[in-house]
Amino acid sequence: MNLNRVEMPKQEPEDRRRNFDEVATGYTYEMAMEEASRCIQCKKRNCQQGCPVNIDIPDFIKHLQDGNIEAASRVLKAKTSLPGICGRVCPQELQCENSCTLNKKGAPVAIGRLERFIADWERSQGAVSTPEIAPSTGKCVAVVGTGPSGLTVASDLAIRGHQVTMFEALHVAGGVLMYGIPEFRLPKEIVQREVQYVASLGVDIQLDTVIGINYSLDELLNTKYHAVYLATGAGLPQFLRVPGENLNMVYSANEFLTRTNLMKAYLYPEYATPVKMGKKVAVIGGGNVAMDSARCAVRLGAQEVYVVYRRTRQEMPARLEEVENAEEEGIHFHFLCNPTGFISDGRNNVSAMELIRMKLGEPDASGRRRPVPIEGSEYTMDVDTVIVSLGTSPNPLISSTTPDLETSRWGTVVTDERGKTSKARVWAGGDIVSGGATVISAMGEGRRAASAMHEFLSQ
Amino acid sequence: MFPIVAHEELAPKVHRMSVKAPIVAEKSKPGQFVILIVDEKGERVPFTISGWDASKGTVDFVYIEVGKTTCRLGSLKPGDQLAHFVGPLGKPAEIDHYGHVLAVASGYGASAILPVLKALKEKENRITTILQAPDRERAFGCAELEEVSDRLVLAIGTPGEDMTVSATRLLRKLLANHPQNPIHRVIVMGSLCLMRVISEMTRPYAIKTMVHLTPLMVDGTGMCGACRLSVKGNNRFACVHGPEFDGHEVDGWDVLMARRCTYADESVLQQSFQCRGCSQW
Ligand SMILES: Cc1cc2nc3c(=O)[nH]c(=O)nc-3n(C[C@H](O)[C@H](O)[C@H](O)COP(=O)(O)OP(=O)(O)OC[C@H]3O[C@@H](n4cnc5c(N)ncnc54)[C@H](O)[C@@H]3O)c2cc1C
Ligand SMILES: Cc1cc2nc3c(=O)[nH]c(=O)nc-3n(C[C@H](O)[C@H](O)[C@H](O)COP(=O)(O)OP(=O)(O)OC[C@H]3O[C@@H](n4cnc5c(N)ncnc54)[C@H](O)[C@@H]3O)c2cc1C
Ligand code: SF4
Ligand code: SF4
Ligand code: FES
Repeated sequence: MNLNRVEMPKQEPEDRRRNFDEVATGYTYEMAMEEASRCIQCKKRNCQQGCPVNIDIPDFIKHLQDGNIEAASRVLKAKTSLPGICGRVCPQELQCENSCTLNKKGAPVAIGRLERFIADWERSQGAVSTPEIAPSTGKCVAVVGTGPSGLTVASDLAIRGHQVTMFEALHVAGGVLMYGIPEFRLPKEIVQREVQYVASLGVDIQLDTVIGINYSLDELLNTKYHAVYLATGAGLPQFLRVPGENLNMVYSANEFLTRTNLMKAYLYPEYATPVKMGKKVAVIGGGNVAMDSARCAVRLGAQEVYVVYRRTRQEMPARLEEVENAEEEGIHFHFLCNPTGFISDGRNNVSAMELIRMKLGEPDASGRRRPVPIEGSEYTMDVDTVIVSLGTSPNPLISSTTPDLETSRWGTVVTDERGKTSKARVWAGGDIVSGGATVISAMGEGRRAASAMHEFLSQ
Repeated sequence: MFPIVAHEELAPKVHRMSVKAPIVAEKSKPGQFVILIVDEKGERVPFTISGWDASKGTVDFVYIEVGKTTCRLGSLKPGDQLAHFVGPLGKPAEIDHYGHVLAVASGYGASAILPVLKALKEKENRITTILQAPDRERAFGCAELEEVSDRLVLAIGTPGEDMTVSATRLLRKLLANHPQNPIHRVIVMGSLCLMRVISEMTRPYAIKTMVHLTPLMVDGTGMCGACRLSVKGNNRFACVHGPEFDGHEVDGWDVLMARRCTYADESVLQQSFQCRGCSQW
């Protein structure tokens, strides 16, 4: 048994610090074949149980071992419509790969990298196969939000013969995949391919349309649509609520990433949207969003970038791979400290940050040890740019215009385990329900809701 | 795509554009705004809705050429298309019967305020309007303002050392008369400077003063936080909680103005935007 996985080639840190090209360049055919050969085709299929959408992992790897990439792709497509995306951004180390039998003895099979290889191979072949579409049922479905959850529901229901219309507030479809996750981790062309694929199934995508403004949820239900799926994500940025947080050059991660990724400010002035970047940048937070912000800052020319996190490395929610990438790119980590205020340079630009050191106390509700401030440990740090990346909660636009839609204390929409909300004919899933999770869980919830919606529509 | 159906010059570097966007026209209310993108490489730029026709599906706005996008708009002709056009964004202006309303407008505000004044007029308010402009040539929109106002006063001139302009001198006179001829509400649509100065002037009189704030925006739907400002100590997003705010409740005007000019530099065409009160210059 081979216990070492085939490494995926990456751009050297010194090079990639200066460009937005994809960091990991993907397996070659030979590498993929070698890695696939490590899989021992366990009877128990531990890996499959670790995947939130239950991909038949041993089967697709078997097809790879046999050199039949097309068949491997079909196995993937049976459970995920976004393999090129999941293969890149899934937290595999916590999911499929964590459960792989080989993980007990050595490195698990690189399932995500193989998934990515298959998707990229299919893409390089040009024509992407479209599945057979069931005869029209005459039923219309509205999907609100074009992130991974909405895209999944739209394609699942379109294939089953329903007429699907998607509504998107922004000028581009794809949700966080377009506006949040940077090009160097997930090329936008790949996302747009997936969007085109969904459109090719007959799904109508209406951009520049805000539900809650252009149409209320009730208007959708009372006009054309038999059922609605809400997948508007969790796009409302949270702030620290400390003095000075509105100073110039204090960004929310959402603004910073939207300017950089969605509006392509890294190509300014070819693209018209600018993003101003200082020399000493502090990114507040420890999740994927913080890593993406820090790594974008480096690429936009910041000289020093610090990630400031109130717990320790062990508690950081960011993917390990991305933390390592960030470190290689020269980003510094400051653990166990928390900003208590921002100081102006006298002209309302941020020039320094006040912090307090923290220690870990008793575990909180989430099981993580709660950070508590150490009195008297205040200090300051010079910075000229701050990116606040503390997480997000659902945008209240729809819930505030739909009184009979039950929401939780955190503003998330309440559903049963198949995505049904408190409101008749309305389902929901993805970050609007879970409040900031993962691409694959957003997809998984979409898949479950789509089958529930299909049952309802077939009655 | 969103076709331009009409485009006219109102004054030097000031234009009115009419765009076909039925779902925007259908829902528009006074005081709301749109965000447009000229082409796929363009920036998302906000403009206040100055008029609409739901039956024709058209939305109008008036813009001043100040930078990249607005100059680009200036070169477009009827029949050309805008890549994206989304709205109506923001909360509508508060409309009710107040009594005597004093409106102050400058710049594009001269046109952008029209729907608000029309609605106020329908609620049988008496409206006095002050139009502030640097010179007569740039005092546009008088005829339309006259139609919706009981009285229109022109205030011509550029700001003095103390940031007072003709409009504020006029306002001072009206406020001195306030006990005899009460003003029940003030509404200002103009530069941040003007809105701030007027809010400070009416504060001692406790006359509710509504301002239409224009911080930088990106998405316009509450997602990015670029447009945040402090209102009575709470963070508010101008694009969803505004753009209309009670000027007496806005704190941190300095920060608001500084943030407005984050991307301002010498390339700004309209020198009058380089206001003296702002720390970014
Ligand atoms: C920077 C960043 C990095 C991340 N990295 C990872 C990662 O590495 N791996 C991972 O698995 N997950 C990652 N995530 C999380 C993941 O992207 C999300 O969990 C996932 O995208 C949620 O999908 P969704 O379909 O629920 O919503 P979203 O992707 O948020 O899409 C919602 C869409 O709905 C639209 N919308 C909102 N309101 C309205 C309305 N009223 N009308 C019309 N449209 C509306 C929005 O514009 C948006 O396009 C990351 C998130 C961020 C922000
Ligand atoms: C809610 C809202 C409503 C608006 N309504 C209108 C409207 O109806 N008509 C209109 O002409 N404009 C309006 N604006 C302002 C308009 O969005 C800007 O003029 C526009 O973004 C300029 O884009 P640009 O690419 O041409 O110039 P840029 O190159 O972006 O502008 C150059 C610089 O000029 C400065 N600047 C530009 N406009 C202003 C301004 N109005 N006040 C102070 N400084 C400014 C800024 O610092 C900017 O960075 C509104 C803004 C908001 C937020
Ligand atoms: S979808 Fe994600 S969790 Fe499932 S097999 Fe692929 S990489 Fe693993
Ligand atoms: S658990 Fe690992 S080795 Fe076993 S079948 Fe799955 S991928 Fe292959
Ligand atoms: S413009 Fe992004 S939150 Fe208001």
